[in-house]
Amino acid sequence: MSTTLREATADHEGLLDSARKVVALATGLGADECRVRVGRGVSTELSRRDGRIEKAEESRSRAMSVSLMVDGRWSAHSTSDLREGALRAFLTRAIEGTRFLEPDPDRALPPLAEMGSADVDALDAWDDAILGIDQAARRAGCEALEDAVRAAADGLSVRSVTSGLADGYSARAIVTSHGFESTFASTWVSTAAVISLEDAGGRLPEAWYSSTSRHADDALSLAHVAARAVERARDRLGSGPAKSGRYPMLLDQRITGRVLGTALSPLSGELLYEKRSCLDGKLGEKLGSDGFTILDDPLIPRGSGSKPHDGDGIPARRRALFQDGVLETFLIDVYNARRLGTAPTGGSTGNLVVPPGERSPGAILASLPRAIRVDGFLGGNANPTTGDFSFGVHGVLFEHGEPVANVSEMNISGNVLDLLPRFAEAASDVWTLGAWRTPSLLFDDVQFSGS
Amino acid sequence: MSIPRPKGPPGAWFEERFGVTPELLRRVMAQALSRGGEDCDLYFEHSGSTAVRLSDGKVNAANTHVDLGMGVRVVVGDQVGFAYTEELTPDAMLAAAATAAQIAEHGGTRDVAVPVARRIPDRTPVLEPWTDVDMATRVKMVRDWEQRAFARDARIARVDTYLGDAAKVVMVVRPDGRLVEDWRPMTQGFVRAVAVDGDLRESSAYNVAGRAGLEYFDEGRQQRLVDEAIDRTLFLLGAGKPPAGEMPVVLAAGPSAILLHEAIGHGMEADFNRKGTSIYADKLGASIASEHVTIVDDGTIDGSRGAVNVDDEGNDGQHTVLVQDGVLRTYMHDEISAKHYGVDPTGSGRRQSFRHAPLPRMRATVMESGPLDPQEIIASVDKGIFCQTFANGQVQIGAGDFAFYMKTGFLIEDGKLTRPIKDVNIIGNGPQALADIDMVGNDSILDEGGWTCGKDGQSVPVSQGMPTVRVGKLVVGGVG
Repeated sequence: MSTTLREATADHEGLLDSARKVVALATGLGADECRVRVGRGVSTELSRRDGRIEKAEESRSRAMSVSLMVDGRWSAHSTSDLREGALRAFLTRAIEGTRFLEPDPDRALPPLAEMGSADVDALDAWDDAILGIDQAARRAGCEALEDAVRAAADGLSVRSVTSGLADGYSARAIVTSHGFESTFASTWVSTAAVISLEDAGGRLPEAWYSSTSRHADDALSLAHVAARAVERARDRLGSGPAKSGRYPMLLDQRITGRVLGTALSPLSGELLYEKRSCLDGKLGEKLGSDGFTILDDPLIPRGSGSKPHDGDGIPARRRALFQDGVLETFLIDVYNARRLGTAPTGGSTGNLVVPPGERSPGAILASLPRAIRVDGFLGGNANPTTGDFSFGVHGVLFEHGEPVANVSEMNISGNVLDLLPRFAEAASDVWTLGAWRTPSLLFDDVQFSGS
Repeated sequence: MSIPRPKGPPGAWFEERFGVTPELLRRVMAQALSRGGEDCDLYFEHSGSTAVRLSDGKVNAANTHVDLGMGVRVVVGDQVGFAYTEELTPDAMLAAAATAAQIAEHGGTRDVAVPVARRIPDRTPVLEPWTDVDMATRVKMVRDWEQRAFARDARIARVDTYLGDAAKVVMVVRPDGRLVEDWRPMTQGFVRAVAVDGDLRESSAYNVAGRAGLEYFDEGRQQRLVDEAIDRTLFLLGAGKPPAGEMPVVLAAGPSAILLHEAIGHGMEADFNRKGTSIYADKLGASIASEHVTIVDDGTIDGSRGAVNVDDEGNDGQHTVLVQDGVLRTYMHDEISAKHYGVDPTGSGRRQSFRHAPLPRMRATVMESGPLDPQEIIASVDKGIFCQTFANGQVQIGAGDFAFYMKTGFLIEDGKLTRPIKDVNIIGNGPQALADIDMVGNDSILDEGGWTCGKDGQSVPVSQGMPTVRVGKLVVGGVG
């Protein structure tokens, strides 16, 4: 389908030029300060279901967003109608509308001297090989992946198999009225398999597995994706709730972010300023057990969360969020730092890293008389103001390392301040193809509700 | 900025502003079908929105957004090719059509008619359009909500308010000559509060949303918006955790329809059934619930968030009975699934924007009233919980497991509401939960909250409604 991808390049100069023109237009129309982001992206997706191509999609998008200061007042806008006359009318209205607001001087751009980019080349986020993937390759990949899933599922009652390959790139430029300029571009390639099995009672449990990477040669093999999808589907057969009670919980390496996120969302400068954070006033306190460490590393080459600077244009740097249980930093952007009267610490994160431990997940489970490995979530939410959380879970109940029952229709509940001291061990299996780069994590004595 | 209701004849919006003439439409569709596609649609969209926010006692932030583009879908049986463009130039549109065309693999042409506009129903009776409302009026409204909120209770420490409005003009064009143009307004009001009582600190919020103009915010609705936000926040200060495990659950009328949406609604979207991956795939005509359970998915409720004059394939919005007296009558269909099942589409083909191909989706999903007094239902439970308000939900279509997150509710002990409870996930299996609905109240009401449904990465606005019901058994994620 697509020869068009080959024409594409990041075209940093073209994007910068567009952004500079919007800055000039906005300031010419009366904005005192502005920050303009111009982005462009291409993505191509092919999916195949049960032996036939199901969907072929190609998107080529472009977008412009701008934040404005007009007489000390702030507003933010976006449009995909980039025709010159339309853009001028759009900005004119945006600037006029801003004058009706009340002043908020804390919204001013950060000082230019504090802004900058980490070494973009060192982030290694672009792979020309991905631009060379053509529709014939995607088609062959989808077919091979479906075949691999069916081979791995030999002996199971398969209802349906969907395989998908997708790839693309995105590029953006940011320009401010006080002279900051930044460009960043990244490629990505993705492989996914979904399998639906027939189970007792008419249930059709489904499981998926996927690989998404910045570089083609980091991608997991089709056979690996297929085998894991089938393994996960097998772990859903005949499932139901186990007895309510407190169990050790081993979180699978790919889903730790949902639970760890309950400890990170209350770190946000906005929640702290708005008095909606349960971790307010706890900086420097030991909140977790000794091994509980979460690092923010936005500079990992090829990392999916890697980036040259944060949302304010402050250069990206490595830092610890939690180190051996101690809360080391809040996540305070420039605006909320001004409102709080403190120094900004960077409001956004890059790759979130939990260092691996010594033992494999299997060895950890084998050392426990009884434990639930949680493989996925269903619904649930967390309250950052109180720290309370409650998530639906499914997974496998183990006794002395042996799987004894597939579990579903269960919930875990608790409070983040109660959970962090229950962190017991990081396994040795780090997942590296995501912005959460963690191993499987063991927590002691977690409240499960079931039958 | 908002998009005004078009004054010209259908089709004129995109022709006059962007040069999209009937002849150009015909050429683009001919390109889309040039490789043997059986059918195609062009979906044009021009949307605009405005929002103002109050924070720290100041109305200090505003946002506007404009979106413009065209998506082209080519269909061969159940195979779909899709591409879109944000430029409405002939070259860009023809290129997108050529890309989507390639789902078909052989040559051949199909006759393409020059489109002729069709009049459609209007379920969005806007009296005071947002295009006539100046910024000063919006600023005054969000400030007024803030002042009302602080006046309610001395424990309210912080209030944030938000007022948004949006509208889009969409045009759907088909090779058989059909053309519809639709104007879709939406508005939303939001209030969030933080309450402090000694060491206790809680935050909650409420929002209302509908397809309406300024008239939506009459005095009653504005006060209710504020009161609900404050009541929900203060309630949390005194609330605790429910017990853990399986128990009877009574769901309050209105927002509890999140149970319908997750446990039943998604499983009845026909794409999952056509593919055989829904737990309801083989259940048409079967009894799946008690005789008191009747569930409709309704696109025809004037002004509701889930109302559709036409769906995003150009078919009229409809009142679709999914379950009648406990028997599964029909799925929700887009054109692909309707063709697969040999039935008429139900007007359920929806998409987030021109960047997406349509899928069968819910509109306003409602359970109709049953015979019982709600008090009688609560009184019937010895030990269980009563769920009042909700945050979110999710379902696994194949296994049928679903969950919803209760924000506030009460423990039921010996038939009476006792201790307030909060923040708990509740989980069950859809067909089992449906079968376990053993009492249905006579108080069905459409919730006015601004619900948004996500599926395959696409979000669409929906409504939902429900009477008080009792579900015999669900797993409550409490403690103990």
